[in-house]
Amino acid sequence: MKTERGFDGCREWRGSLGAYALGDLPTEERAALEAHLDGCERCREEVRALTGVARLLPYADPAHFGPAPKPSPELGQRIAATIGAERQVRVRRRRRFGFALGGAVAAAAAVLAIVVLPVGGGGPPQQHVDFAGLPSGVQIDATLEPHAYGTEIHMYVSGMRSGTLCRVFLRGPGGERVPAGTFRYRWGNDSEAVLSSALDLSRTAAIGVRAGNRTFTAPVGRGAAAAT
Amino acid sequence: MIQLGSPTRGAFSRERDVRDAYAAHSGELYGFAMRSLGDSGLAEEAVQETFLRAWRAGERFDPRIGSLRTWLFAILRNVVIDLGRARAVRPRVAPEGGVEPSVEPLDDALIAWQVEEAMRRIGEDHRRVLIETHYRGRPYAEVAEELGVPEGTVKSRVYYGLRALRVVLEEMGYED
Repeated sequence: MKTERGFDGCREWRGSLGAYALGDLPTEERAALEAHLDGCERCREEVRALTGVARLLPYADPAHFGPAPKPSPELGQRIAATIGAERQVRVRRRRRFGFALGGAVAAAAAVLAIVVLPVGGGGPPQQHVDFAGLPSGVQIDATLEPHAYGTEIHMYVSGMRSGTLCRVFLRGPGGERVPAGTFRYRWGNDSEAVLSSALDLSRTAAIGVRAGNRTFTAPVGRGAAAAT
Repeated sequence: MIQLGSPTRGAFSRERDVRDAYAAHSGELYGFAMRSLGDSGLAEEAVQETFLRAWRAGERFDPRIGSLRTWLFAILRNVVIDLGRARAVRPRVAPEGGVEPSVEPLDDALIAWQVEEAMRRIGEDHRRVLIETHYRGRPYAEVAEELGVPEGTVKSRVYYGLRALRVVLEEMGYED
């Protein structure tokens, strides 16, 4: 679009350009304006721009010029809940697949161990932990993966008040507490947080989460085996 | 009008992404869905399906290729087609020349919604004269008398109204 400055010499014609673009000018006015347009590139360009818009007007229905319709206030929550539910299914599928794959890798490693290393072995590459004894409606579980730097934790939480601050920690063999980071539970339906701790998974006896003013813990590894 | 690109890579996979996108674009998406489907329940279903598909395909979204808004509209367009209502959508008034015959009815609905949205955003004085002169076909002199202004003012408002429409449409992604 041209600025006002570009039309200083065409002020008397400017007001007619819209009506011209819409085909509304009477014959005489149209002829006079076209004579001006023949010698005025700026006005021709303006007409071209306005004609582009005028061409679109017939698509619209004036009955729809009123206030824009709005979706119901619950739509956002419904979408969040649907996505949360699908994420939950996806996470669990990934875990099952991960365990199956982990088992296959472990089996292959065991065979290799027999051939290459007569002595040796190892646990599963990751561990799944379900928290028990939680308040009604609250669900917490976690998948722990060993890494060179320590332990990666995928923590899945649902049923808490949205906005709740969660502090996650691991406990070592002597009960010492090693921080694993914090996250804030959102959406009110579903939240998966990825955290990490310097404590090796092989030395992890328990995982805990302090959510708001309550603390929940679950045994890991040998502790979990002993608890069952 | 809105460019319907096909994103290749990026990130739209976190719940926060969905929440932010919903806050920013759900109104427009719902407006277009309502315009296309004419039913609030179906329109909400279409918007919900759009965000679900976007989240599922989130890894393919690449903001370097196109805006999130454009991507969401492209998904919504497909959702509306899938809802089987595309054929019911027709422009209310046949455009007067200049429109490619290959344009699909649903794209017509997208143009219609954009023009209507632009009309909502321009000033009342400009919208009023465009409605009276263009859509109702009333003589400029008659509209001027009704509004108590000179006929030249009506013409001027038509001109500035079209300019304002163009600015708004350009903000919405219109290119000609």
